[in-house]
Parts: sequence; C-alpha cells; structure tokens
Amino acid sequence: MRSLRWKIAGHVLALVATVLLGGLLSATLVRLAPGFDTDERELDPHLSAESVQALRDARHQDHNVFRFYFSYMKRAMTGDLGTSLALGQPVRTLLRDRAPLTLRLLAIGLALAWLLTLTLALSAAWLRLSVFDTLTTAASGTFLCIPAAVLALLSVFWNAPGALAIALIVFPHTYRYARNLLVKAYSRPHIITARAKGLGEARILFWHVVPVVTPQLLAVAGVSVSMAVGAAIPVEALCGLAGIGQLAWQAALARDLPLLVNITVLVTLVTLLANSSADVIGHVVRSQEV
Amino acid sequence: MRRHKSGFEQMTNTCGTAISVAMLCLGFLLGHAVAQGGGELRFCLRTEPKTFDPLKVEDDASASIRYLTGGVLVRVNRQTQDLEPGLAVSWKVSKDGRQISFRLRSGILFSDGTPFSAEDVAYTVQQLMDPALHSPTGDAFRSGTGNVETNVVSPSQIVITFPAQVAGLDRLFDQVAILSQRSSKKEMAVLGPFMVADYKPGSSVLLKRNPNYWKTDEQGRKLPYLDSIHLDIQPNRDVELLRFKRGELDLINSLDSEYFDKLAATSPQVVHDAGASLDSEQLWFNEVAKSPIPNYKKNWFRSASFRRAISEAINREDLSRVVFHGHAQPAVGPFSPANKFWFNSKLKPQPYSSDAALKALQDEGFRMENGTLKDKDGNEVVFSIITNSGNKYRERMAVLIQDDLQKIGIRVNVVTLDFPSLIERMTQTFDYEAIILGLTNVDLDPNGEMNVWLSSSENHQWNPQQKAPETAWEAEIDRLMRAQASSSDPKKRKEAFDRVQEIVVEQEPFIFLINKNALSAVSAAVQGAAPMILSPQTFWNAERLFVGTK
Repeated sequence: MRSLRWKIAGHVLALVATVLLGGLLSATLVRLAPGFDTDERELDPHLSAESVQALRDARHQDHNVFRFYFSYMKRAMTGDLGTSLALGQPVRTLLRDRAPLTLRLLAIGLALAWLLTLTLALSAAWLRLSVFDTLTTAASGTFLCIPAAVLALLSVFWNAPGALAIALIVFPHTYRYARNLLVKAYSRPHIITARAKGLGEARILFWHVVPVVTPQLLAVAGVSVSMAVGAAIPVEALCGLAGIGQLAWQAALARDLPLLVNITVLVTLVTLLANSSADVIGHVVRSQEV
Repeated sequence: MRRHKSGFEQMTNTCGTAISVAMLCLGFLLGHAVAQGGGELRFCLRTEPKTFDPLKVEDDASASIRYLTGGVLVRVNRQTQDLEPGLAVSWKVSKDGRQISFRLRSGILFSDGTPFSAEDVAYTVQQLMDPALHSPTGDAFRSGTGNVETNVVSPSQIVITFPAQVAGLDRLFDQVAILSQRSSKKEMAVLGPFMVADYKPGSSVLLKRNPNYWKTDEQGRKLPYLDSIHLDIQPNRDVELLRFKRGELDLINSLDSEYFDKLAATSPQVVHDAGASLDSEQLWFNEVAKSPIPNYKKNWFRSASFRRAISEAINREDLSRVVFHGHAQPAVGPFSPANKFWFNSKLKPQPYSSDAALKALQDEGFRMENGTLKDKDGNEVVFSIITNSGNKYRERMAVLIQDDLQKIGIRVNVVTLDFPSLIERMTQTFDYEAIILGLTNVDLDPNGEMNVWLSSSENHQWNPQQKAPETAWEAEIDRLMRAQASSSDPKKRKEAFDRVQEIVVEQEPFIFLINKNALSAVSAAVQGAAPMILSPQTFWNAERLFVGTK
C-alpha cells in the first residue's frame, strides 16, 4: 500500500513537471516558427496603417516567450486560459465547446480499436491457424502502412464515421502487442496442461490468461490513448469535425500561441494521465497476484 | 326598373365569379405555399465566423452572415452593380463629398420588435468609427483625422459628416449593417431577411426568417421566402463537394475549376460559370531597396523593361487553359473587365511572345550564352518564385511560368511556403525575389485599393512604406489616386483611375496573370437562383430564393 502511494506521488510529480515543460517547449517552438509575428489580416487593403499596427502590437505582446509563459501560468491559475489570436474567442470557451466531440470520437474510436484487437488476437491465440494468423497480420500491416490522413479521407469518401478512422489507425499498433501477449500466454505449460485436461476455454481465459496479460495490456492501452489523440488531429481536420484536433490544426497554421500552448498542455495531460493510470492499475494487479 | 339578366350574361357572370374565386384560391395557395414552405437552404461556410457583430467583420464567413442578417441603408445590386435603396428611401452626398444625408423608411422593426429610427443609424456610425475598433468596414470611411458627426434631424432623417472627403461614400454603406441602440440583444437584433437562431461552435450556424423583415415581393408577399438557412462550417472542399453530390447541400460558392468540371460531367445543369470575376492572380518582384537580395537582382527587378519582358514571356492563355481548365481569363490590368464602370476598356491583354521578350531583354544588355540568359555583368538570370503551399492553382501557375521563362534562358525556382511564413517574408523581412499571390476584390470602387496603390502604404507590396515615392510613375499614381479620391465627379474619378490602370500596365509592378471566373453550383431544388460575379455570388438574392417547388 505504501509503495502504491509512492508510485502515485511519483506519477503526479512527473505529470506536473512534464506538463509544465511541455507547455514551455510548445510556446518556444511556436515563438521560433517562421511567420509567428504575422497576421493574415495585415493584407486586407481596407485596414488603415493604425489598424495594421494594432494587429502587430497584439503579436508583439507575446514576443518574450518566458514572460508570455509566466503570465499564462499566472492567469491559468485563476481559470483564464487567454484569448485565441486567430479566432478572437476565449480559449476556455473554444476548448469547452469542442471537447465533447473529441472525447466522444476518442472513446468510440478506442472502443472499436480494442474490440477489434481483442477479438482478432484472442481468435489467433485460440485457433492457432496459420492462415488466420497470416490474414490478420496482413490486415494489421496494411492499416499500419496507410497514412492516417488517407484513412481520414477514405472515411469522408465512404461517409463512414471519423471514429472508425481512428479505430483503424490505432488497431494495427495494439493488435501486434495483444496478439503476441495472448499467444505467449496460451503457450505456457500450465495452460497447455489445463487445456489437455479439458478445462473450459472461458475458465482458462479468465483464470489463467487474463491475470497474466492484464498489466502489459494496460500499458498498451495507455499508449493507445496517445495514439488516438494524435490520430484525432488529421481525422478531425480532414473530416471537418469541430473538435480539439481541428482546433489544434487551425492553431498551428495560424501560429496561435495561446491556443497552441493550451492544447499542448491538455494533450500532454491526457496522455500522461492515461499512461500513469495504466501503470498504477498494472501495479495494483501485479501486487494482488503476489 | 329591374333588368333581367340574359342567360348568356348570367353564364358569363357565373363563370367570371368562379374564375375569380379560383384565381383567389390559387393565389392564396401559392402565396401560402411560398410564405409557409420556402424550405431550408443549406450551404457551407469555409471558416468559423469570427464574429456576429457586423461592425467587426473581417473574414468571409462573418461577411456572409452579415449579408444575410444585416439591414443596410443602401445596397449594391449584385446584378446591375448599381446602388439601390435599402432602409433609406433616398440619400444625397454633398458636393465636397464629406456629408451624406439619408431619408429613412418608417414603421420598420428590428427582429426583436425594437423600432428602427435615425438614432440607430447615428449609434451604428459612432460605434463603427470608434478608432479602437480597428474594423476594415470602419477604416474604409477613414480619410482624414477628426471625428464623424451625426445629426439626427428627425426619426426618419439623418445627416452624417466626415472630417474629410470620402470617395464613393454612398457605396460604402452597402457594408454597414445597422445596429439597434435600444435592443438588449445588441448585434443579434437585426434588420435583414434572416436572424441568427442557433450557433454550434465549429459546426453550424442556423439562420431563421426575420418575422419583422420589411420587404415584400411584387405580389405583396412578405420576404424572405425561405424558412431558414443552415450554414455548415466545413473547411474541407472535398467534403463540401461530396455533400453537395449527396444532396445534403444546395449551394457551393466560389467553386474550384477542377470541381466545376467534375460536377459538370455528371450534372451540367447545376454548375454556373458567371464569367471573369473581380479577383486577380499576379506575380511581382521584390523592389524593396533594403531587401537582403543581391544588388544585381534588385537592378533587374527595379527595371520596367525587365518586368515587361517577363510579362511578355508568360503565356496567360496557357495558364487559363491548363491550370484553370478554361475557367479564367488572361488579366489585363488592376481591374477585371467584370467591373463594368471602373475597368479601362482601352487596355488589352499582354500578347505572349517569347521572341519579343528575349529581344527586349537583349536590348537592355542581357545576352544568351549556351541557353542561359546572363546580364551585362555576366550574372546568370535566375530567381525564385514563392507562393503559398496548398494552393494547387498557384503552384501550377508557378510551374508553367517556370517553363515559359526557361524558353528565354531564365532559370526559375519554385518554392512553396505556408501562409504565415510567406507573409513574414513579404511584409517584414523582405527576403524573397518574386511572389505569386491573388487579390480578392470585394469593392467595385478603386478607393478600396488605396492602400495597394499609394507608395506610402503597407500593402504597396512590391515596395511598401516609401517615405517619398521612389519612382516618377509611383509619384504619378499617388497623385492620381489622391485626385480621384478627392473628387466627387464620377467622370473625373474615372479619368484619373483609367490613367492609373495605364501606368500600372506600362510599368508592371504587378504582372497580372489571370482573372478567375466566378464558378458556383446550385442544386436543382433551389428556385430563383441567379449566380453573379459579385460576392456573395449565389445567395445575393437570398430573400427571393426558395427550396422545392412553388
């Protein structure tokens, strides 16, 4: 129990440090990106010289990245995440409005990916048919080779939901791990013996296989969340889905520093939380086994 | 004495009555059908609208919503390009061009029921001209320092006085949607045909018919016919086209030529090519003295003979045919022939001749050596053209120009950059040699381009922010642009701007390449559509459109 507390405390510390550092790195990268100082609106011939100057001054406020980041952190403590330079709306409102779609997309995408992964991996482990194994490996390999953007475009073309594209992007990564783990677990001597003695497949699965593979599968599940978050950016941008992924794409194109820093912090937070949760749960499962 | 009606008279009267009743019923039914069943029009906005405040509009999506919801004092008819009464029944601009007086319609209500009066116009103008607003709409009225005065003469009469003359003053009010001074709903209380009913950020905007809209059609029926307009926010043009093909959308504005041909192949009745639009695509060289490019290149780029020769070596017909599939016209000058009043009809497209271009360069001291053009100091003529990545039309034009210039021994490198990087090079570091970009013209009046043509301005792109004009011809353009802006005589203004166009064509600071055609698609279900070249092409007459059959 004490070691679990230390583990959680260590994860929280690492999470806070990584999020802070990630935000600062993101701000620095955006600040150093070519075109940071410019605004497309400067090209509007209707704008007076004073208005063009006002646009430039607004960008100049964020020139010193450390000062920007310090004031951002100070404001973030009070719940003020700043205002998007490109969209002119509070970042908090933008994130709040778009988070439900992205969360739904990620939840369905991940659920589909894992359903497909576990169904095929379990079948491969149970059946032990080389034809089936070859087919599923070829399918996962094919999806691994197709760029995420192409899968997103295909989903647009076939009018398929964006969540399916995310599932197909995540699936090949998770399948390889899950299949290897399950095949390895099923080839353990005590499971072969249990099977030979005629123990039911369900009992073998839940009593002898699941406890063995759960910690590793949880670790893969944590990584799959970050994969899905990464996949959400091209999928939302190309499918025209108004989520945080699309917002991230727009912010990157517009060098929208406040928005990009917030999205980076959010994505880092989600990824680390998923990985840390998987690690802690895995730790609990392992300690119960002992 | 009572006179008995004959059988024929009786029959005629009976028939007449029956026909009248039938006509009345038919009229009622038609009117009812249109008034109650105008349907829902669906189309896409390509970006998220940044604001619903009509005074702060600076992006296309917000401008579309302003057009559909805003009530304006005067409106430019997108078909005739003439000015028509809107909320103002009449207006008069003073001789000095500083003052405009409007006589307003009475009995008009905002969408929330608040009455409209001259006080609202005064309030709107004062808000618009607030220097802290920095709005393109307000800046278009700014021609001198000082405050704008509004004098409400009566609830239906107002006089607005500007500190200095504003050229084309009355036409600028086409963009000014009137706000209510008293409504608690602020900018959501509107005087236009539609009002914002729902907004799902990043997803859609729903506009509903304004029940208090003042206009009626020729039969006295209330406009608009449509019940609602559903605007989907969809940046991806492939998705937009797919959804149009599936029947989920009714309109596509500013259709790409490639998509136009795809649609025309399967449904020729839905696509519309309204001819050359006001938009132009142009190439220009960096003429900024302090730019970090070699001096010998600066000398080439600052030479009018060099620019003219390059212009002559570019085959614009090919650009139109190959890049735009024939849906573009070779550009003549700063204004497209689509601008009926301001286009200088004496100007003709630059003829293509690589031989003549090479000869002109040789006359300037350039010489051909082993298929490579060199200047008189022996420097190989090579330069880079940059354009914004992702714009396949500009990328293809750059490649064709590269081929054309190769024929006269000039080596061109084509570089694509994302838009912020390109703007940085163009406006701050001046680290470029040549650029291909476009000008989207929404104004018919040349005053809208003052910041492009004045040598001191930020948007004088080939050599911006000059303290004093660096060339005689730029000084002459400055003089002519100021002269046309300070005159209220349309004929004198036209003469001055005609000369500006001639100088630009002679000097070629911008090498105008093509004017894209105004392409659009309108579903067969939409009745009353007549796409025009002026923005908004397909829904300029939204109040008279309806979906379905009458």
